[in-house]
Amino acid sequence: MPSRRRTLLKVIILGDSGVGKTSLMNQYVNKKFSNQYKATIGADFLTKEVQFEDRLFTLQIWDTAGQERFQSLGVAFYRGADCCVLVYDVNSVKSFDNLNNWREEFLIQANPSDPENFPFVVIGNKIDIDGGNSRVVSEKKARAWCAAKGNIPYFETSAKEGINVEEAFQTIAKDALKSGEEEELYLPDTIDVGNSSQPRSTGCEC
Amino acid sequence: MLDSEIHDLSDDADYAASLQQGSASVMLCNDSTKESSSASELDGAEIVYSKENVAIHPTQFAISGRLKLIKQGSSLFMTWIPYKGHNADTGLSDKDRNLYTIRAVPFTEIRSIRRHTPALGWQYIIVVLSTGLAYPPLYFYSGGVKEFLATIKQHVLLVRSAEDANVFLVNDFQSTLQRTLSSLELPRAVPLARGPSNMSVDESTLNENEERNDSGVNNGSVSVPQFHRRPRHKVHDPARDLSIQVLEKFSLVTKFARETTSQLFRENQTNGFSTNERRTQIQTNLDPPKSSNVAGKISDENSAVPDSLEFDNLSLVWGKPRQPPLDSKEWITFLDSEGRVTDSEAMRKRIFYGGLDHELRNEVWGLLLGYYTYDSTYAEREFLKSVKKSEYENIKNQWQSISPAQAKRFTKFRERKGLIEKDVVRTDRSITFYEGDDNPNVNVLRDILLTYSFYNFDLGYCQGMSDLLSPILFVMDDESEAFWCFVALMERLGPNFNRDQNGMHSQLFALSKLVELLDSPLHNYFKQRDCLNYFFCFRWILIQFKREFEYEKTMLLWEVLWTHYPSEHLHLYVCVAVLKRYRSKIMGEEMDFDSLLKFINELSGHIDLDATLRDAEALSICAGEEGAARIPPGTPPSLPVDEGSFYIQQDDEVL
Ligand SMILES: Nc1nc2c(ncn2[C@@H]2O[C@H](COP(=O)(O)OP(=O)(O)O)[C@@H](O)[C@H]2O)c(=O)[nH]1
Ligand SMILES: [Mg+2]
Repeated sequence: MPSRRRTLLKVIILGDSGVGKTSLMNQYVNKKFSNQYKATIGADFLTKEVQFEDRLFTLQIWDTAGQERFQSLGVAFYRGADCCVLVYDVNSVKSFDNLNNWREEFLIQANPSDPENFPFVVIGNKIDIDGGNSRVVSEKKARAWCAAKGNIPYFETSAKEGINVEEAFQTIAKDALKSGEEEELYLPDTIDVGNSSQPRSTGCEC
Repeated sequence: MLDSEIHDLSDDADYAASLQQGSASVMLCNDSTKESSSASELDGAEIVYSKENVAIHPTQFAISGRLKLIKQGSSLFMTWIPYKGHNADTGLSDKDRNLYTIRAVPFTEIRSIRRHTPALGWQYIIVVLSTGLAYPPLYFYSGGVKEFLATIKQHVLLVRSAEDANVFLVNDFQSTLQRTLSSLELPRAVPLARGPSNMSVDESTLNENEERNDSGVNNGSVSVPQFHRRPRHKVHDPARDLSIQVLEKFSLVTKFARETTSQLFRENQTNGFSTNERRTQIQTNLDPPKSSNVAGKISDENSAVPDSLEFDNLSLVWGKPRQPPLDSKEWITFLDSEGRVTDSEAMRKRIFYGGLDHELRNEVWGLLLGYYTYDSTYAEREFLKSVKKSEYENIKNQWQSISPAQAKRFTKFRERKGLIEKDVVRTDRSITFYEGDDNPNVNVLRDILLTYSFYNFDLGYCQGMSDLLSPILFVMDDESEAFWCFVALMERLGPNFNRDQNGMHSQLFALSKLVELLDSPLHNYFKQRDCLNYFFCFRWILIQFKREFEYEKTMLLWEVLWTHYPSEHLHLYVCVAVLKRYRSKIMGEEMDFDSLLKFINELSGHIDLDATLRDAEALSICAGEEGAARIPPGTPPSLPVDEGSFYIQQDDEVL
């Protein structure tokens, strides 16, 4: 039975300005940290090839400007997302409190077919600062929030030191893949006809 | 209307330059006897007209020479040879002079001569070749245009154009219809334009263009055999005012396409074509009559199989060559003895074409931004500076006096400050001025932004502002002066940062309308791909291309934009120009929204500013009033239509 498998997985990173979205993305994709990244204006994305069970996927990671004023751009950038990463800075209460706004805003603008089960991942970043002494949001509090929102996977990272970043994105990619595949169930089979010849398609017919 | 704007564009700079340089050239005319062999290549030729002191003004300097009409057999030729030896002070090399020399061009290759008789200054003519290219305007310092035309009339058929009494058509036995079609063909002739001043343009593009013009003359859908029987003139002349010709032709085409197509049918019943043939051809070329972009229309028909090179050749339009930056020596000529700008229009125009020497920016930016008025004197500016300094200190004091204890109860302040602090440390840190740990300039950046957020509390701080402030502080190198210049800039660009984003949306909307007007195939492509929101140009517009060019180029671009010449919204035409430049890539690679965004983001650092500005200028002139009409009133940097409604407070964010 031919079935179209998507090979592009789209991930959106959201969170307040300065929490480290751009740094996380660059740490994951380029294995680099620089404290000279400019504030993101508009949006940009990086891609990374990931492999699951012999299948190659392109993870497309979208990084957007964090200031709420720019949220109206979201409509264009969020659509078609397979997973949404919510980032806060463990040293900033406000950035944690705002997670809820970011989540809701995303659901409104991306308008996923099954909002209840849309995959989110939460990241508490900058755990390296001051050796954790200036931290104001406890892991417990963050995990409680994630549990209340439908068991959102939670990671604590340092984009600067490269701590836990790879792990977080592994989960992100897996969840994106799952959500992408579930979406395919809605696609009627007839759509697949003719697509199997596309070079990048890796349908199971082969 | 368009005509007068074109006239303005082409002629004033020439005129101003000629005022500066003209007398020198005229004085030097005695040397002209040295140059006497111009006609030697034509055996048995008779000189029927000869005029000294006919000059071109290809740069700010004039080149004087001798204009001749030479009769050989039944053919008439025109030559213009620059004088040797005395252009040394103009910095023109022999090579340059060779480029400008007009060597025996036969009148069979000349389509028309346009006569300009300004009330002030010299009369001049523009000779348009049958290819559509034109020579630079020839200024008759010692008069004689009438005699020149009268002489031509004795030897070849010369008729006054019905459309414009100052245009004389040469050998005009062709029908009006054919003339229309030949004018339609003009855009393809454009890329031939080259010359010393064009050298900044990517050489490969030029070569490509040339090759294509040599081989692919008939590629487009314009296919009127009669037109092509004239030999293609391979122009080595720089044809400086080509853009003007193109623009004139654009307007001509628009006019014809819109209004006179049907009339042409009626008038030309008897020439070579059957009515049906003619109709087909006209429709091929002029439909749909709504669009005024000939190039676009021609390529429209190929859009099923986009031939990218062809696209670009057809659509490139050149503005005038860029000039060297304005330096302090020339700058003082724009000021009276007390420091007032005597002719702000001329000054803005000069800055538009060349930008400013860096040392001048400090003095001129405040004027360009409207912080200082043009009619202020040196003394008045000094005075204002000191008054404004204490005013700045007062506003700054408002937040400086907030104690840590008070700040604890002032969340909005803390958050705003935090946001600014996060951004200044990631603003232009690779520039020496902001480089390194604990750089005091970074703190000044923060202080100004925080002060601004109190000066305009409703607008507050928004990301992107630090990018706009950074070059201003670098140039002004004075906290208060930088602040007030920033305030002036934000008068124009503040709506970019509005909470409802209305400033951005109106600009993106206007951009889509301009692309629709100036490049309909690209517009259709974006439409098809659901890209009409133009969000991929968001960064360009929000911070005036700050992230797209290196620092120095950004400063140049900004002062050019701030002249508001030739359009207040030149930045939108800059967007169109860049998109047009890469349209073949965009369409050829079938970019979707994502890849388009990526592509545009990665163009950063790769855009040729000079070429883009030339395109943008030409495009803004092409678009003319139609372009202006597509930009909604109040679109930044225009001042808001309704002052009151701008910084609407919303509950969602009061940072
Ligand atoms: N110490 C530390 N600093 C970080 C970390 N991640 C980001 N930063 C810094 O936080 C600031 C904002 O980072 P950025 O990635 O631009 O944040 P964004 O606005 O969310 O994209 C920058 O100065 C980064 O260098 C981290 O894990 N540890
Ligand atoms: Mg960022």
